[in-house]
Amino acid sequence: MEISFAFQHLVNFLMLGLIYSIVAVGFSLYFGVVDVVQFAHGDVVALGGYAGLAGILLAVAAGATGVGPVVGMIVLALLATGAAGALIGRYLVMPLRQASPINVLLITLMTGTAIREALRLFVPGGSNPSPFPMVLPDQLMTFAGVSMRVSSLIIMAAGVLAIFGTHFLLSRTRLGLAVRGVAQDEETARFMGIDFKRVVILTFVLGACLGALAGIMSGLYYRQVMFNMGLMLGVIGFCAAVVGGLGSLMGAVVGGFLFSGLQIFATVALPIPSAYKDVFAFTMMICIIAVRPTGLLRERFEERV
Amino acid sequence: MNDRTLVCSDLTMRFGGLVALDAFSLEVRPGEVVGLLGPNGSGKTTFFNVVTGLYKPVSGAIRFGDKDLFRKAPSEINHAGIARSFQRCRLMLELSVFDNLLVGAHNRLPNGLFRTLFGRKAALRSIAAFMGAARDLCARFNPHIADRLFEPAGSFNMIDRRRIELCRALLGGPRLLLLDEPSAGMTHDETFRLMDDVTGFQRESPELSIVLIEHEMQVIERVSQRCVVLNFGKKICEGSYRTVVADPQVRKAYLGEDA
Amino acid sequence: MSHQLSARKVGKTDWPLPGSQALASRFDRRAEAFFLMAVAGMLVLACILALESELALAGTLAAAGGLWWWGVRAGVVAQAGAFSDRRPWAARLVVAAAATVLLIAFHGEHYALLMISTVLLFAAACAGINIQTGLAGLANFAGAAFFACGGYTLAVLAKSTALPHFLAILAGGVAAAAIGAVLLLPVLRTRGYYSALVTIAFGILCSSFLQVNEQLGGAQGLQVPPLTILGWDMGSGFEVAGREVSFYFAYGVLALAVFLLSSLVAHAIEWSAIGVNLDATRSDELVGSSFGINPQRWKITAFLLGNFLIGIAGAVYAGLTNFVSPAGATFEQSLLLISIVILGGIGNSWGALIAAVLVILLPEKLHSLQEYRVLIFSVFVVAVLLFRPKGLVPRRMRDFSVMEKRS
Repeated sequence: MEISFAFQHLVNFLMLGLIYSIVAVGFSLYFGVVDVVQFAHGDVVALGGYAGLAGILLAVAAGATGVGPVVGMIVLALLATGAAGALIGRYLVMPLRQASPINVLLITLMTGTAIREALRLFVPGGSNPSPFPMVLPDQLMTFAGVSMRVSSLIIMAAGVLAIFGTHFLLSRTRLGLAVRGVAQDEETARFMGIDFKRVVILTFVLGACLGALAGIMSGLYYRQVMFNMGLMLGVIGFCAAVVGGLGSLMGAVVGGFLFSGLQIFATVALPIPSAYKDVFAFTMMICIIAVRPTGLLRERFEERV
Repeated sequence: MNDRTLVCSDLTMRFGGLVALDAFSLEVRPGEVVGLLGPNGSGKTTFFNVVTGLYKPVSGAIRFGDKDLFRKAPSEINHAGIARSFQRCRLMLELSVFDNLLVGAHNRLPNGLFRTLFGRKAALRSIAAFMGAARDLCARFNPHIADRLFEPAGSFNMIDRRRIELCRALLGGPRLLLLDEPSAGMTHDETFRLMDDVTGFQRESPELSIVLIEHEMQVIERVSQRCVVLNFGKKICEGSYRTVVADPQVRKAYLGEDA
Repeated sequence: MSHQLSARKVGKTDWPLPGSQALASRFDRRAEAFFLMAVAGMLVLACILALESELALAGTLAAAGGLWWWGVRAGVVAQAGAFSDRRPWAARLVVAAAATVLLIAFHGEHYALLMISTVLLFAAACAGINIQTGLAGLANFAGAAFFACGGYTLAVLAKSTALPHFLAILAGGVAAAAIGAVLLLPVLRTRGYYSALVTIAFGILCSSFLQVNEQLGGAQGLQVPPLTILGWDMGSGFEVAGREVSFYFAYGVLALAVFLLSSLVAHAIEWSAIGVNLDATRSDELVGSSFGINPQRWKITAFLLGNFLIGIAGAVYAGLTNFVSPAGATFEQSLLLISIVILGGIGNSWGALIAAVLVILLPEKLHSLQEYRVLIFSVFVVAVLLFRPKGLVPRRMRDFSVMEKRS
C-alpha cells in the first residue's frame, strides 16, 4: 500500500490507541482503588468534550485569541469533569460500596445515561454533532512523502504526557503512594493514617480529569463532539482495561492500543465491510478474555478463605 | 470395605515463589480426631483448601478411601464425602437457615432442570423430607435454631451462626469433616459446648473423622487423639497432644528462638 | 443485594409465624389480600388506559401511589406476596381472570390492547432477566438484543419456511438461548463484571450489526407476516355477539399466557434446589463449590433459561407489532428492561409487571414528558438504587416451611 496511506493508518492507530488508553486508565484507577466499575466514565469523557467546547466558545466570546481558547478549553473541561467525578464518587459510589458490585455498576451506568440524555436535551442542537473548533496550530507538515498535521502531533504528545504524568503521580509522589496503599489494602492504609475518603475522592477526580483529556482529544481529532460519543468510548475503554488487567496502568495502555490495532487491522487487512470493524475488535478482545480471564498483565484479585 | 482413610502424601503447594505446603503428608483414619496446629501462616488453611479442591497442588497425592482426589473439582471431592467449615463465618445471611443448610446437603437434593420444572411435587417433597433431619441436627447444637429454622440466618448471633455453619457441613452426611478454627470469637465455655456437640455427633457416626485447626490448646487436648504441627508448610511434629506440646521444635515455632 | 438486614424487617409479618394454627387463621386474609391487589391493579390500569387528560392521569397515579403506600404499611402487599408464594397457580389464575376482564373491557380499542400486550411481554422478558440477575447474579445488559433475536428468528422463519408459527416462536426462544450460550461460555469462569462487559458489548454490536446487515433488512428491519397460532388467525379481528373485537385481543391473550408461564417458570426455579444453588452461586461461589455446587453449570443454566424466556417474549412481540428492526435491539432498550427489573424489585416477577406498567405505559400517556423520559427514568433508577435498592416489591425470602404444611 502507498506509504501515505500506511502513515495515515499509523497516525490513526496511535491517536485512537492513546484516546482509548486514557479512558481505560480511568477504569483501571477506579477499579484498582475503590474496587468498582464506574460506568459513567465514558459519559464523563463526553461531558469533558462538551465542557471543552464551552470553554473555547466562552474564551472566544471574551475576546481571547491564540492560547486563550486552549486554556479556556482545558480549564473548563477539567473543572466540569472534576466536579462530576467528585460528586459521583462521593454521593453515588461511596454509599454503595458495601452493596453488591452489580449495584455500583448499575448506578453508574444509569448516571452515565442521565449525563448522556442531559447533554442531548440541554445543549442547543444536542441531538446532532456539534462542531469542535480547531484551536491548536493546524499546519500540514510534509516529509518523506507523508503528511501530518501539527495539531495531531500536539494532541498525541499531550496524551503521552498525561499517561506518563499519571504513572509518575502514582509511583513517585506521596499522593500516589497513598492511592496505591489504599488500592493494596484499604484497612491497613486507614491504620497508617491515610484519609481514605480524601484519597477516594481524589482518585475519582483524577480519573475524571483524564476523561476530560480524552474528550478534548476526541473532539479535536474528529472536529466534533456528539452526545453519545461517551457510550462507545466507555465500552471500548472498559474492554481495554479488562483485557489489559483491571487495576493495572500498563495493562490499560496495552489494552487500548490493542483495540485500536484490531480496528485498524480489520479496516485494512480483512475483506469485511468497515462497519464490522468494531464487531471484529470486540470479538477478538472477548476471545483474549476467554483465554486469559485475569487480563494480559495482571488483575488485582485475592480471595481470603 | 470402603475404608475412608484420607491419605495425603508429599503435598506441595506453591503461590508463585512462596511454598505454602512443603511435601506435607498426613493420614486420617475413620473415627479419628486429628488436631492440626501451627503458628499463623504455617499452611493449615492452605492444606484444607488443597484437600477440598479450592487450590490445585503442584505435586503429591491425595486419596480418600479408594478415590483419587488429587487436583479434582471441589464438587467431586464433596461428593466423595468431605465437608468443611470456614475460618470466617460464611453464610447467606439473607436466606433462611434451612436454605443455608440445603447448600450443605446439595449432593442429596434433586438438581435436575427437567425434574424441577416438570416434576415439581416430587422435587419439593424431597426437600420437605430434609426438614426433619435439619431440625434434629440443629436441635443438638441449639434448640433455639431448630425452632427458627425458617428465619433469615442473619437474625442469629455469631455463635449460632457458627453452629448453623457446622450443621451445614454435617447435613450432607460427610465421612471427613474439616473444621477451621470453629472457636474463633467464642468464649471457653461456648467452645467446649460446641466441641462436645460435635464429638457427641461423632459418637453416633463412628465412621466420621475430623481434622481440627485450633489455636485453643485446651480444646485440642480435650478432643484430639493425635496432633500434627505445621511450620512454614512442613510437618515438624506428630503425636499425642502431650508429645507435641513438649517438643522443642514446636516450642521454637510458636515462641521463637529464645524459648 | 446487601447483607444488611434492617432491624424492623425481622419479626415483622413478612414471614409466616411458626405453628399451624397461626397459618390456618391467616389463610383467608392472604387470599383476600392478593385478590384485592389484583382487582385494584386492574382498575388502575383501566384508568391509565382510558383517561386522556394528563391531569386526570396524574390524579390516578397519585391515588394509586397512596393506595400502594397504605397497602405496604397495612401489610396487604406482604400478604399478597405470601399467597403467591404458597399457591402460585391460584395466584396466576386470579391475575389471568383480572387481566381477561380488562381485555374484554377494551375489546374494541386497538391501542389499549396493544399497550397491554406490550407491557405483558416486556414483563415476561424481565421474568427471564430476574432468573439471570436476581437469582444467579449475572448482569445481562443485552436483554433487548436477545429480545430482538427472538423477533428476528420468528420473522425469518415465518417468511422463509413453512414451520408452524407456534414452533417458530419457540425457535425464537431457542435462538436467544443459543446466542447467549456462545456469548457467556468464554466468561463463565470469570468475575461478575465480565458478563456485564460481554453483554454490554454484545448489545451494542448486535444493533450495529443489524443496522448494517442487508439480508436482515438493514435499518428498516423486517416485516413479519400475520401469524396463525394453533389454527387461530392472529391477524384479523372477529365478531362476538354483534360486537367488533380487535385482532389485538388474541395477542393480549397470548401475551398474558406468555407472561404467566414465564413467571411460573421463574417461580418454579426459585422455589427449588436449583434456586438455592443459584443463590449460593450468586452470593458466595467459593462456599457453594466446596459443597459441590458447580458455579459454571448453574450460571449457564440460569442464563440459557432466562434467555429462552426473553426470546419467546421477543418473538411474540414481533408478531404483535408486525415487524422487527434494529431500533428494538439497542443498548438504550436493554437499559429500559434493566430499569424495569430494578424498579420492580430484582428477582420478583410481580414487581416487574407493576414496573413495566410504570415504565412503558406512563411515558406513552404523558406526552409532555416524552422527550425527557429516558432522563427521568435514569434519575429515578439512581434514586431507587440509593434509597430503596430492593425496589417496589422486594424479592421475598424463600420459606420452604410452606411445603411442610402441604405435603
